[in-house]
Amino acid sequence: MAAVLRAILGYYFLVFMMRIVGRRPGKQITPVEFILVFFSGGLILTCTVADDQSLTNALSQIVAIALAHYLLVLLRWKFPWLSKIVDGTPAVLLEKGKWHSDNMAAMQIMDDDVMAVARDQGLERLDQVEYAVLERNGQISVVPVE
Amino acid sequence: MTKTAPVTDSVKKVNNEFAVGDDLEFQKSWQKFERGVWILLTIFILLSLAGVFGRGPLAQGHIQASDGSLRVDYERVQRFGTPSVLTIHFPPDVIHQGTVQLWASDTLVKPLGTQRVVPQPMKSVIGGGGILYSFPATTVPASIEFQTQPAALGFSDLIVRVPGKAEVKTRIFVVP
Repeated sequence: MAAVLRAILGYYFLVFMMRIVGRRPGKQITPVEFILVFFSGGLILTCTVADDQSLTNALSQIVAIALAHYLLVLLRWKFPWLSKIVDGTPAVLLEKGKWHSDNMAAMQIMDDDVMAVARDQGLERLDQVEYAVLERNGQISVVPVE
Repeated sequence: MTKTAPVTDSVKKVNNEFAVGDDLEFQKSWQKFERGVWILLTIFILLSLAGVFGRGPLAQGHIQASDGSLRVDYERVQRFGTPSVLTIHFPPDVIHQGTVQLWASDTLVKPLGTQRVVPQPMKSVIGGGGILYSFPATTVPASIEFQTQPAALGFSDLIVRVPGKAEVKTRIFVVP
């Protein structure tokens, strides 16, 4: 019972913390951010497993986390306001030659991050980008100037 | 037959041309909320370092019997399932014929989870809501160490005394 509750609490706590730490564009996740993800996971693991290393506990906790995740996804789909809280909303980073500095600062994204995605699309300069948007999944979308 | 619905242009546009679906008002509120959370997290870490949640300077407790018959060093706040040490110091006058006796309430064993007593008692007698220990003591000052590992959450009242002397009463809080 307590182990299952610990697993559910741990899952929601990590979801909350990762949301607070902020979105980074997926392709630009640095080794430092990998450390954050894996270290947090490892730390939460020690307290969720505690001294119960049985198969029953492992299966119970996996099922509990799966259910917690399913519930979150279901509620997110049913209630758009919850979707905004869990995933955030897209944020415009660049619009017709102008940076949205407040969004860039809030998301800790540099112009280099946007240029990296632009290069991926075969663009050579930032002035070839009409719009750059940080998506809810953490990716940056770039729309070239027509 | 598959259920279908017409596509509606419901996603908010930038410059009336680029469907992004951003929500500036929400973003601003969320950024404000994030700042608040960072402040709370910083306070949490500072409190944690100080020992408010155990294992820090503020968690350390020292208490002495009114007649000076014993002194207890312990952690006021302990963590569930995490080792802690409670040390009891005796002055020379409570040691008789190489033995010192200590009565401790049974909360020391059950919720507070005593794992080991150093030195090992020569004798322990259960009764009266506690345990009466007899320890060998040949040198002064003498001290006994209870190595504990709390097995229950919340407050636990702990009473210890040398038989016939003033008791020491304290409360230990166990956090998850």
